[in-house]
Amino acid sequence: MINWRLGLGIILTGLLVLVAIFGPMLAPYDEDYINPSGYYYNSSDDFGVISNPEPPSGKHIFGTDQYGYDILTLLLYGAKYTLLVGVLVALVRVVIGGLLGLINAIRTKNEKVGSSFGLLGSIPAFIIIYFVMAGIVVNSSLSMIELILLQSVLMTIVGIPGVYAAVFSKTKELKKNLYITASHSLGARSFRIAWKHLLPHLKATLMVMFVKEIILVLSLIGQLGIFNIFLGGTILRLGGEGVYLSVTHDWAGLIGQWRSFVYDYQWVLLYPLLAFVLIIFSFYILSRGIELKDKHGFKKYPHI
Amino acid sequence: MKFLLPVIGVLVLIFVLVAFPLSIEIIGGKLSVEFEVMIDLTKEYLGGIFTGDSFHYQEGIDRNPNFFSAIPDYFITSFMYLAVAIILAIMIGLLISAWFSRSRREWMKDLIGFLGMVPDFIMVLFLQLGTVYFYQATGHRLARIATRGVDEHAILLPLLTLTIVPAIYLIRSLSERTYDVLTDDYILTAKAKGLQRIYIFVQHVIRNVLPFLKADLHKVIAILMSNLFIVEYLFNISGLAGFLFNTSEYQFNLTTNILITLVVLYLVLYWFIRLFIACLERIFAHD
Repeated sequence: MINWRLGLGIILTGLLVLVAIFGPMLAPYDEDYINPSGYYYNSSDDFGVISNPEPPSGKHIFGTDQYGYDILTLLLYGAKYTLLVGVLVALVRVVIGGLLGLINAIRTKNEKVGSSFGLLGSIPAFIIIYFVMAGIVVNSSLSMIELILLQSVLMTIVGIPGVYAAVFSKTKELKKNLYITASHSLGARSFRIAWKHLLPHLKATLMVMFVKEIILVLSLIGQLGIFNIFLGGTILRLGGEGVYLSVTHDWAGLIGQWRSFVYDYQWVLLYPLLAFVLIIFSFYILSRGIELKDKHGFKKYPHI
Repeated sequence: MKFLLPVIGVLVLIFVLVAFPLSIEIIGGKLSVEFEVMIDLTKEYLGGIFTGDSFHYQEGIDRNPNFFSAIPDYFITSFMYLAVAIILAIMIGLLISAWFSRSRREWMKDLIGFLGMVPDFIMVLFLQLGTVYFYQATGHRLARIATRGVDEHAILLPLLTLTIVPAIYLIRSLSERTYDVLTDDYILTAKAKGLQRIYIFVQHVIRNVLPFLKADLHKVIAILMSNLFIVEYLFNISGLAGFLFNTSEYQFNLTTNILITLVVLYLVLYWFIRLFIACLERIFAHD
């Protein structure tokens, strides 16, 4: 059977990467283009009002938001931040967490993974980042790059324990195999066992974990976006009710700033949401593809 | 000591986190953290415990209510949503994983896995958009998309969101366990004795899956707690997590108290579910 999931995943993520790189060139308008509102009159039966938010049409494929910004344009400009941060944070998480887990699993004899994390589960990861970023990110004098770096480092730290625990227990499981004992009794050092025997088995697991971590990082950015902590900075406009805007137009930030368009003008919220789901779907189907490609070994069958 | 250490760890984490926004200073693009402010705030809070100052907070402009008189309502609201959601999730998880573990249809795994990966806030926003769209298209009101005032509670959609995510996690982890149990020899023995399938499931499979449920409980509740923040915020529910973000001004004492109450909520929920599983064991695993 052809692994269509892997193919579809590669094609979709490839397209997303292309959009992230060439997005600004493909965008129909400039990043700061504002759709003018006003009256128009062409003939006695072709007249009316242009007001923002304008519904999707040939002119604005995804419509415009309340200020007249073209939604498609903002999405194309923001894609690179969402994707790049998601991929890099996931990569660092898997590399650091994976290395620590591997080294610790080879060195230590005890079987147990630290389980005193129980109570810490009552304070979710995004709440930790929320409190750290809350005083920094709004109308910040730090530059956009600094804010992105800061949030990325926090998101990496928060995610390492999960990767570590998974790699640790998987390595422990692999270490029980007889070929490890054989290799050890033949005089192989830890490094050789790790490099020649453990890593080849862990490779697929780490790949799947990496892709799934990307999804987790993206959800984390999104959850923070809901609470107005936008990647790369939040602009707070006062004067009346406070309005929070994303500096970078990253996709999670766009969802966060438009999340109240539920009752009316739904296209403003719907298209960023669909775009975000598309990212999640692409990476998910890619991870399934890798998983199925690597499904080998002894398979057990149920008796009833 | 073994119980004390995590408690102290969590308390320190809470104090540091809540003090953090007040103790940073950004001057000319330089970020600095003043630990003295952090320590002072914590000292002030700890001193205020004895005088009672730590348990008053500011509401509006001039009201100064006591924390303990306000918190039970919030606590019970959050607890009810969570308790109902987790019990539903456990039942759905046990039932579906029994069937799902035998399924070899990969597309079902695709679907359930994908649902498990979709972030909670996406689910909430889609549910809200869908309900409004349905109303605008047909004129029928399916559910409330937000709590309004004291009487009109949104119940269906928040519960749905709070149930789906842990239920899918449980289906995925328990179906693997169920599959392992089904391959064991005592199941073959039971089958060879001519026992009925439903009997084997009730008497042998479920009771051997329950320990794994117990082991997974911390993870499930952690997932649920993180969903609680999103759900209460987006559905405007006045529970603990909603209270945290709906205060007019950032108050150190109030925020600290709410976070500590959330830890208490976590513990209460954990032992409540342990009780529920003990009841299940009475049914399925009595000897």
